[in-house]
Amino acid sequence: MIAENSHISLNTTLKTTTLSSMEPRKTGKISSLETKNAGILQKLIAMGILPGMPVTLLRRSPSYLFEVDQTRYAVDREVANHIYVSY
Amino acid sequence: MKLPLICPEKECCRGKKECMPGKGLPKIVLVGSPNVGKSSLFNALSGSYTIVSNYPGTSVEISRGKGRIGEREYEFIDTPGMYSLLPVSEEERVSQRLLFEEKAFVCLHVVDARNLRRMLSFTLQLLEAGTPLILVLNMMDEAEERGIEIDIQGLSKALGIPVVGTVSSEGKGIEELKTSIMEFTHKKYERISQETDYGQEIEPYISEAEGLLKTAEETGISKRSLSLLLLQGDRTALDVVCSPEEEYRDKNEKNESRRNSFEEFQRLAETASEKAGIPLSYLFTLKRQEIVNRIVEQVMEVQDTDKETKERETGQKEKTEKREKARKKVLLAENIDSVLTHPLFGIPVLLLVLYLGLYRFVGVFAAGILVDFLENTVFGEHINPLVTAWFTSLVPYPALQDLFVGEYGIFTQAVTYAIALILPIVGAFFLVFSIIEDTGYLPRLGLLLDSMFKKIGLSGRAVIPMVLGFGCSTMATMVTRTLETRRERLISTILLALAIPCSAQLGIILSILSGNPNGLLIWAGVIVLEFVFIGYLAAKILPGEAPTFILEMPPLRIPRLSNIAVKTYSRMHWYFLEVLPLFVLASVLIWIGRLTGLFAIALKTMEYPTVWIGLPSDAADIFLFGFFRRDFGAAGLYGMHDAGLLTGVQLVVAAVTLTLFMPCIAQFMMTIKERGFKMALAISGFIFPSAFLVGFIVNTLLTALGVSL
Repeated sequence: MIAENSHISLNTTLKTTTLSSMEPRKTGKISSLETKNAGILQKLIAMGILPGMPVTLLRRSPSYLFEVDQTRYAVDREVANHIYVSY
Repeated sequence: MKLPLICPEKECCRGKKECMPGKGLPKIVLVGSPNVGKSSLFNALSGSYTIVSNYPGTSVEISRGKGRIGEREYEFIDTPGMYSLLPVSEEERVSQRLLFEEKAFVCLHVVDARNLRRMLSFTLQLLEAGTPLILVLNMMDEAEERGIEIDIQGLSKALGIPVVGTVSSEGKGIEELKTSIMEFTHKKYERISQETDYGQEIEPYISEAEGLLKTAEETGISKRSLSLLLLQGDRTALDVVCSPEEEYRDKNEKNESRRNSFEEFQRLAETASEKAGIPLSYLFTLKRQEIVNRIVEQVMEVQDTDKETKERETGQKEKTEKREKARKKVLLAENIDSVLTHPLFGIPVLLLVLYLGLYRFVGVFAAGILVDFLENTVFGEHINPLVTAWFTSLVPYPALQDLFVGEYGIFTQAVTYAIALILPIVGAFFLVFSIIEDTGYLPRLGLLLDSMFKKIGLSGRAVIPMVLGFGCSTMATMVTRTLETRRERLISTILLALAIPCSAQLGIILSILSGNPNGLLIWAGVIVLEFVFIGYLAAKILPGEAPTFILEMPPLRIPRLSNIAVKTYSRMHWYFLEVLPLFVLASVLIWIGRLTGLFAIALKTMEYPTVWIGLPSDAADIFLFGFFRRDFGAAGLYGMHDAGLLTGVQLVVAAVTLTLFMPCIAQFMMTIKERGFKMALAISGFIFPSAFLVGFIVNTLLTALGVSL
């Protein structure tokens, strides 16, 4: 019973947002990528920014700076809106 | 930034474009993501030097070199970084085309060991393409510092190809890699099946595309790989398959079939991607990543802090101490990094770098003190009088004396300018520049300035070619290929031609105005204003989407002294060879012009705009020089300032006009190459009048306001 409860509470705390509205210094996982803009999508997947990868947001200003696995990337707000994370 | 290679053997043409050392030998091609150390490895293997820096996009061209491994000679080929077989930007396409066209003895896929998880996907693509492959895990030291352990043998077994770990900057693992290349035989590592399964929904489409390719010509990559690229709508693949080469023969028939196959592939791609529900490139990447994740889980281990405490307890003291040290190093870099990229502190740090590196070191020290000593004391008092006296006594013809040791003489002007003026300035500049490049500061500057650059239609990525433009706008024009859209490439080319002064020009102007802080501020203000204004205008006028910004941040690194030295030397060497013939040519042309009277006419013509912007008519030759090279014009300005011929206001006006003046011949040629003849002509046609217009405005304003500087 207790285990089940904790499982539920864990699930409710798992938020899915875009990277741009993620809290800084939090670590999560990339859940999916927005596929509408083919150019941005192509760049993201080529650079290895893929669903399932661990992600940490380090900075929101002057640009979005985040870490995926062992690499850091700087992106603008537009691109950060194309990355969905759950944490 | 890429310079002509310095070949280890004298027999090879030094720095010529057509230079192809090792032509016809078995080829070893280095490929991989940007900033993983391909060029560094290339240098270690071939014994040549191509520029190595710490930012993605250093190499935008292919470099070739020759080297010996054991008894055999090979041709080594370094390529611009590419993230995957499907290119996004132009320099990636350069590498992709090479893979299509060249038959390699073996390809070295160079990856950053830390980032195996992100980079193995490309290894799978290369295997799928049927490329004979060795995987090189570079920067093993940095991976270790971060507690990453990789089972190299396990990885080799999982992939079915040789895997070697290296630290290319220190030469570690190079011998092992060489052995691996020597032992490489295509049969030994031919795997039964190395194809990724993309799922039963999509596989039929891939097979169908492959079927269409049956009669197509062989390329460097497998038919399956080509089919995948075609389904993703890749331009190069379409070019190859629907090659227009045979258009001359049976024109109609070929064109017809070409269009047919083109449409066929498009139809296939559309239905396949409809079926998949997501873009095919996304699907393919996700499928490959599944395999990569499985492999990585088997062979890679990241030590976390818990484990380390345990290790300490079990008494592996030495190991933990080493790791502790490494962690401190990482932490320090982290702290510096957070200041460099801080929204508030970042800008003061940038200004400090500019002040110390550019103004104090290049402007005041090199262009001021050093040049003064070389130009006035060494050349002016000792060498030139000696050479002049010697030459005049040896050759009694005044016309020839004029050519070699006259006012505009080959020795007294061209050689003196090149050695005493240009060389120390560009040398100092390239030294500062190399240090900045190797720390990894440039990408951070991109991050810092992205939102500002957006206002002029560029992304933070364009910061890199813009900053490189201060070194040499010609090279920077080539680096604009790393920008993603045509619009960005065009805007940055215009700005490079218009508002970015090159190192020699900048150094001279800084030095001339260093005694005059207000003048320096006005000059800088006008140039920045013009830069922003033209950029803003171009962004408004030119059609196209706003740019987006994605840039990889390499770790901050401590520059390696040997690389700094070799890089600075090779750039100075290149610059000197570039500049000297043109200076000499200018001397000869002026000499002919003076003999025939054409020089006087040209000077007279240039006098009109010169006087119009409030300068004495003598200053006309600065601008005439400027047509040859901007730095030549700046050298002329230096001469006039030295002779005390200009007032403070005139100096500022001349500096502004000259900074905004025509790009040099080399940059003009590069603009033609990258953007086309019409565009190059249009840019230059705009610059010439606008430079004088701005000079006129500045002069009118300063005079009207009664400013004296």
